Amino acid sequence: MRGYARLLAVILACVLIIAGCSSNNNGNNAGNAQPSGNAANAPGDTDGKGTGGETGERDLSPITFTMFSADLNPNYENMQSPVGQEITKRTGVTLNIEYPVGDIKQKISLMAASGDYPDLIFAKGDQNILVDAGAFIDLTDLIEEHGPNLKKLYGPYLKRLRYSKDDPSIYFVGSFGVDAQQWQPNNGFQLQHAAVKEAGYPSIKTLQDYEKVIKDYIEKNPTIDGQPAIGLSLIADDWRYLISVTNPAVFATGGPDDGEWYVDPQTHKAALHHTRPEEKEYFRWLNHMNDIGLLDKESFIQKYDQYQAKISSGRVVGLIDAKWQYEQAELALRQEGKLDRMYGMYPVTMNENVKYADFQSAGYSAGWGIGISSTAKDPVRAIQFLDWLASEEAQILNNWGIEGVHYTIHDGKRVISDEEMNKRTTDPEYGKKTGIGVYTYPFPQYGDGVLDSTGQTYTINSKEQIAKNYTDVEKEVLSKYGAQMWMDLYPAADEFPVKPWGAAWQINIPQETDAAVQMQRISDIIKKRIPEAILAKPDQFDAVWDSFMSDIQREGLDQLTEEFNGLLQERLELWND
Amino acid sequence: MQLQLKAETIERKKRNSWRKIVQQRYLLLMSLPFVVWLFIFHYLPLWGWTMAFQRYRPGRSFFEQDWVGFTNFVQLFSDERFYLVLRNTVAMSFMALIVGYTVPIIFALLLNEIRLITFKRTMQTISYLPHFVSWVIVAGIVTKMLSTEGGPINELLMALNIIDQPIQFMAKGEWFWWIVTLSDMWKETGWNSIIFLAAIAGIDPEQYEAATVDGAGRFRRMWHVTLPGIRPTIFIMLILSIGWLMSIGFEKQFLLGNPMVQDYAEVIDLYVLNYGINLGRYSYGTAIGIFNSLVSITLLLSSNYIFKRLTKESVI
Repeated sequence: MRGYARLLAVILACVLIIAGCSSNNNGNNAGNAQPSGNAANAPGDTDGKGTGGETGERDLSPITFTMFSADLNPNYENMQSPVGQEITKRTGVTLNIEYPVGDIKQKISLMAASGDYPDLIFAKGDQNILVDAGAFIDLTDLIEEHGPNLKKLYGPYLKRLRYSKDDPSIYFVGSFGVDAQQWQPNNGFQLQHAAVKEAGYPSIKTLQDYEKVIKDYIEKNPTIDGQPAIGLSLIADDWRYLISVTNPAVFATGGPDDGEWYVDPQTHKAALHHTRPEEKEYFRWLNHMNDIGLLDKESFIQKYDQYQAKISSGRVVGLIDAKWQYEQAELALRQEGKLDRMYGMYPVTMNENVKYADFQSAGYSAGWGIGISSTAKDPVRAIQFLDWLASEEAQILNNWGIEGVHYTIHDGKRVISDEEMNKRTTDPEYGKKTGIGVYTYPFPQYGDGVLDSTGQTYTINSKEQIAKNYTDVEKEVLSKYGAQMWMDLYPAADEFPVKPWGAAWQINIPQETDAAVQMQRISDIIKKRIPEAILAKPDQFDAVWDSFMSDIQREGLDQLTEEFNGLLQERLELWND
Repeated sequence: MQLQLKAETIERKKRNSWRKIVQQRYLLLMSLPFVVWLFIFHYLPLWGWTMAFQRYRPGRSFFEQDWVGFTNFVQLFSDERFYLVLRNTVAMSFMALIVGYTVPIIFALLLNEIRLITFKRTMQTISYLPHFVSWVIVAGIVTKMLSTEGGPINELLMALNIIDQPIQFMAKGEWFWWIVTLSDMWKETGWNSIIFLAAIAGIDPEQYEAATVDGAGRFRRMWHVTLPGIRPTIFIMLILSIGWLMSIGFEKQFLLGNPMVQDYAEVIDLYVLNYGINLGRYSYGTAIGIFNSLVSITLLLSSNYIFKRLTKESVI
């Protein structure tokens, strides 16, 4: 019954949209016919002649911008915090941000269908839906005229902000920190410190090393805290199988994170990464792990909360996952004082010759960002606001807080007192109370490690700060490997070339094309067939794998690959001309 | 003469109906807002069905859309996956219909026989409470219960020596339909029995007395008095639920499903979401919607017709 109601709602929405569109026609058409025209230019011209935007003399009269952000920020405080109020004071802007409840793509699809946009939109991976609907205005001229700070921030990457070769407009300003340095591995093979300690800190480089540590530990300790120990647990709940099941196959075979794709660094040809023969061997290894009983039987059934509960009970010896996915559960272990049960991250690969590419740089990832909608009240004020956020003044305010309150200046250096720092790291409500960090991501921002005009970092993060946060056990384990930080175990960024295509997972396959449908079908097959192959009897693995390959072949893999390569080629040309 | 008479009767009839309208003007006026409401919210949206024959793209006016005829329907009916989800949907709704329909009746009959009023009330309240628990939580409970890691069901079976290895209930595709149906039964039995209990309460007690005098025992009374007494309710509920067969929603399947049982868990609504709306194929989604509605209407009308012939009970 509810399903029917929902269907009706969708149909109704669609009808309203059609009605809405016909009445809105003129406005929309103008925007569509000339993507770089009208809305963007008209106010720009008047402003250019009138108030003189170039001198930085800005309109501070109060204005409220509505905004949609696809990334939920639980710290959003309606701009009522000290930092939030300070921003309003300095710019006149109040932001009214709406966050998604439920499925983001659905929300954005409906937004596009209704043509009812907030002033600012951050649509994450689904912005192509909005671009196709003509929801964004071209920011190129606005940035040229009103965006000195944005130009400085993005520098040579400004051209990466362009949408496509056919439509070189800039629709959004990139969200990720520019020139960010990576100090922590994102992915890896995780082992409990206790297991590594008991094994006598062996070299952990290959799948076999990794397996041995788990196997030996389980043999000696069949139970942990009275409950049966689990060798290796994976999580495949909904989309999470990408993170814990399929992505690690790329990493273990030396590929960087390009989503479902592997791009050959020489030829720049992309292939669906699961089709690489090396990866078949990785999955064969997982099949073997299942065969010898080390793989958690519930790996492909459990829900995310069960997975987290298992980890925080401390009885899972090994994980293969992204840090951010098990971080929360690990924190619970830390709070309970089970420091031995927390995890170290190891760059495990198929064999000694393969380099784990977690630190390979994608250059600046410009794919996501905030755009100004075609129905925005005052695009000039909006771009000025975004520009102001990119300024040194705003960056310091957003990262460090208010001078004299959240930090002080000693000898020209910003210093955060120990007491304040303690609050920052331990109070989960700190962001909400102070507003610090609320207006950084997804707004334009400098990355970690970038220096301001006084030679200090814009963000408060530093290598030292991360190392300071390690537990004693972590420090001990690291010292046995002759390392200061987990990143020291990984091949360093300078061992890899910068990927000229950025991150391939940010390349969107256009909606409503055959390729999009093929991608969906193939993903459905992958999601089902890979667990099947892993859980098969070892002598049946090849048969299952072959039928998996022929299944995706039948769904039009070649056509999809070709389509994607076209997009990739376009991106390469767009970014590197 | 006859002609004149006929004309007169027609004339009188006309006058009669006009008089009726005048007589009932307030009643008619009062129902007008609802007719308008019905029209706006249930008939106007049908205009959106035109989308199924377009390659609909948002942000364009009706006249700028590309018209593609039946392409979307051809695509739909040539997709193997569609038949798979159709099979799952129909299978699960039939199971839900049979279980979710007979069990509440039996439950209501049994509950009605209980003499102790406080016990009966408590039972009723307890049994319908799960209805208010969201599927998210129910799915959590079910997966926990059936877990191989200390799930109570597996523990019990192991303790009774029925099995020697925990069973992976959630990983068996063929069992998925049963798991969904049974959890649905747990959740909705009490709630669905309310209407039958209400109907039972409306039966004239004298009929029971008469039956008792005639020497009917408990089961006889149930069979000859209670069941015939709630027969109209039973059939109307049945006809209505047949109309909803295609629209079973996707919460339970989505929340209880996992990659291992995907081929049994995907239902039409989820298919619409994954292959329609999420890919920006609004037209395709609408085509499925139309198909769904047509099937539902056909089911409703034909079941109504059959029951009308067989039992003289009907909703229309």
